Amino acid sequence: MTTRVDAGLSPQLSPQPSPLARKGGLKAHERRIGRLFLLPALAAFTLVILYPFLRAIGYAFTRSNLQTPEPVYIGIANFVSILGSPEILGAFVTTAIYVVFATSGTVILGLGWALILNQPFAGRSALRALTLIPWVLPSTVTAFIWGWIFNSRFGVLNAVLVSAGIIPFPTAWLSTTSGAMAAIVMTKIWFSIPLFMSFFLAGLQSLDKEQIDAARVDGANNFALLRDHILPHLRPVLLVVVVLGVIGNLQQFDTIFALTGGGPVSATSVLSIQVYRLAFDQWDIGMASALGLLWVATILPAAYFYLRHLLKGA
Amino acid sequence: MVDFNRRQFGGLLASGAALASYPAFAQSANPSFMSFTFAEDPNRPLVQKVIDDFKAQSGISMEAVGSAWGDVQKNLLLRQRSKTLPTTAQLSERWLPAVATIPEIVDLDQALGRAKLEASIDPAVLAMGQVGGKTFAIPLITGSIGMIANKEVLEKVGVGVPKTLAEFRSALLVIRDKVPNSVPFAAVTKNPSAIPLDFMIMVWLHGGRIIDESGKVLIGSDAGRAAMAFMAGLMKDRLIAPELDRPDSRRLFAQGASGFFIDAPQARSFVRSFSGKGEAADAFVLPIPTPVLKAGDTPRSIQWGHLVCAFKGAGMEDANAPGVKWLNYLLSDAVQGSLAPALSALPVTKTGQKLPIVQNDPFFKNWAQATGVPLTNEIGIWSNGPELSTILSEEFQAAILGQKSSDAAIASMQSRMEASMLKRG
Repeated sequence: MTTRVDAGLSPQLSPQPSPLARKGGLKAHERRIGRLFLLPALAAFTLVILYPFLRAIGYAFTRSNLQTPEPVYIGIANFVSILGSPEILGAFVTTAIYVVFATSGTVILGLGWALILNQPFAGRSALRALTLIPWVLPSTVTAFIWGWIFNSRFGVLNAVLVSAGIIPFPTAWLSTTSGAMAAIVMTKIWFSIPLFMSFFLAGLQSLDKEQIDAARVDGANNFALLRDHILPHLRPVLLVVVVLGVIGNLQQFDTIFALTGGGPVSATSVLSIQVYRLAFDQWDIGMASALGLLWVATILPAAYFYLRHLLKGA
Repeated sequence: MVDFNRRQFGGLLASGAALASYPAFAQSANPSFMSFTFAEDPNRPLVQKVIDDFKAQSGISMEAVGSAWGDVQKNLLLRQRSKTLPTTAQLSERWLPAVATIPEIVDLDQALGRAKLEASIDPAVLAMGQVGGKTFAIPLITGSIGMIANKEVLEKVGVGVPKTLAEFRSALLVIRDKVPNSVPFAAVTKNPSAIPLDFMIMVWLHGGRIIDESGKVLIGSDAGRAAMAFMAGLMKDRLIAPELDRPDSRRLFAQGASGFFIDAPQARSFVRSFSGKGEAADAFVLPIPTPVLKAGDTPRSIQWGHLVCAFKGAGMEDANAPGVKWLNYLLSDAVQGSLAPALSALPVTKTGQKLPIVQNDPFFKNWAQATGVPLTNEIGIWSNGPELSTILSEEFQAAILGQKSSDAAIASMQSRMEASMLKRG
């Protein structure tokens, strides 16, 4: 029987290797296919991010402005100029203020809103859906909405305050240092809350209700529940949200540019705006690239922390 | 499943990269004209008509590329780096020293012929398109930047045309109190490209200068401080407003919410459009001599114009190239006699300025009488003009918004401008 079977199978079990076997087997073939699928993203990354980034590193060590259309190597002179420029150093302070207020504001309000939307009440689903609207609006539209609210002549805020007799005549909110900063922070918080709220809400869904009920029976009030049960439970989510918030706010450009353009003077000129101004208002590509590198350096710690967290989770 | 070897992978990658990059680097076969006038809704049809007429006459399709006024320099810089410069581009006269540093810019003395240009254009007008003795742009329309009063508003509040800055301030106070929610003097306080013009005139009216012909920074003078204090005082008394760009000024003026503003003669075209009254709005657009510090002083205005430059490449190969024909066409009486008056500006050619449509328009006569002899822009003539504009605007804003005293802002402006001029070399 064995002989018969062998005879019957012999054509299929012949020593002639399959096409796959010739190239290292199925695993190797899968790896090649995997690389193939990676290629479009890799090509796009190289063209759109890596190549410009490497060019920017090169420009950071050159004088490249209107007087020198061909870049001239000047070593670290651009970085020295940055350290000696109060206007540019001020952008780091402005960025820090913006990131701290925008991130903390979004986390606090996003968490609060998630706690509210986690309670059972009629219309909860509709409200959850409506909450996402600010997040899906294009950022420039968001900026124009808030620009209209704060407009010195036709703004809603002035109309309300003047008609209520709180201020005697319209105020140019976006023309004061604190007013402009408050406006860009509020705008960012407004359209970031839905995303943060979603993270927190997802975390709250997995909170053990019996644990909460038990704490209630033990006499815990709302604040104690938040401090001792909810926040510890949300700690991993909170970490991710804060890191993502810091990264996003360090990168923020569009709403600030559309709302204040970095002004008045340089009151809202965060690093992204300052890089833009150097590159496209003053046409100083060398300085803009150098500041851009420092800007990336400010983002790297948060990005590293986030990636490490992700990889640990994986 | 298709299997790829290493060579096939490479070919696929190259093909993909080529496909992905094609739209970004592809250039139209037609010569192109980057224009900010084309990007302005009220004026787009005017430019389109010139392009259509050019095609009818020469058979050449000129592709219009709209670019917002404030973005033209940035777009040219980016296009230069990506090798996608347009064939020709419209410029404000004050941008030319910066744009002339682009290596691809065409020397029009060679392309069009210096003698021919000098024969058709007045030397003072042609000079707007020249840097270092070479012609890098042809003037398209010309005029000056001066002050315009809203005759209707002045009559409504019962004030006459102010002759001195003191009278001017008094008139502004009356307008503020009698026209609710108005900006009596719609000076530009927002855009770094436009703020220097308004402030430059104020400095001149106070007897000062910003930078002289040799490049020496002179703003740190008593006159400079007085001009800044004057503007800061206007802001403090709500006679000017923050957050105003030139388009905002035009709208406020056109809608009767402002008594005065500073602009080029093409303001009339914008006012016609923004007021919704068309040519009927001409009745209240009154060019006036700028109020002076004391009786007997000279009113001031700034030389102004739009230019067209060209860049090397397809469309500018020789004297018969489409781009050269386009530039010559822009200087024809057909264009100068239609486009310039429609934009409420003066033609740049000698024959264009003698056309009946120009000679018979009282607005041009009034404008010329009111603004007198315009002076050269003291910031725009330098290749580091963009940086100087930014410095001036930041210090100006800091002073009028109360972040710095006028004296401190002027001192900072002086030192920062000196550093910029030093860096320029």
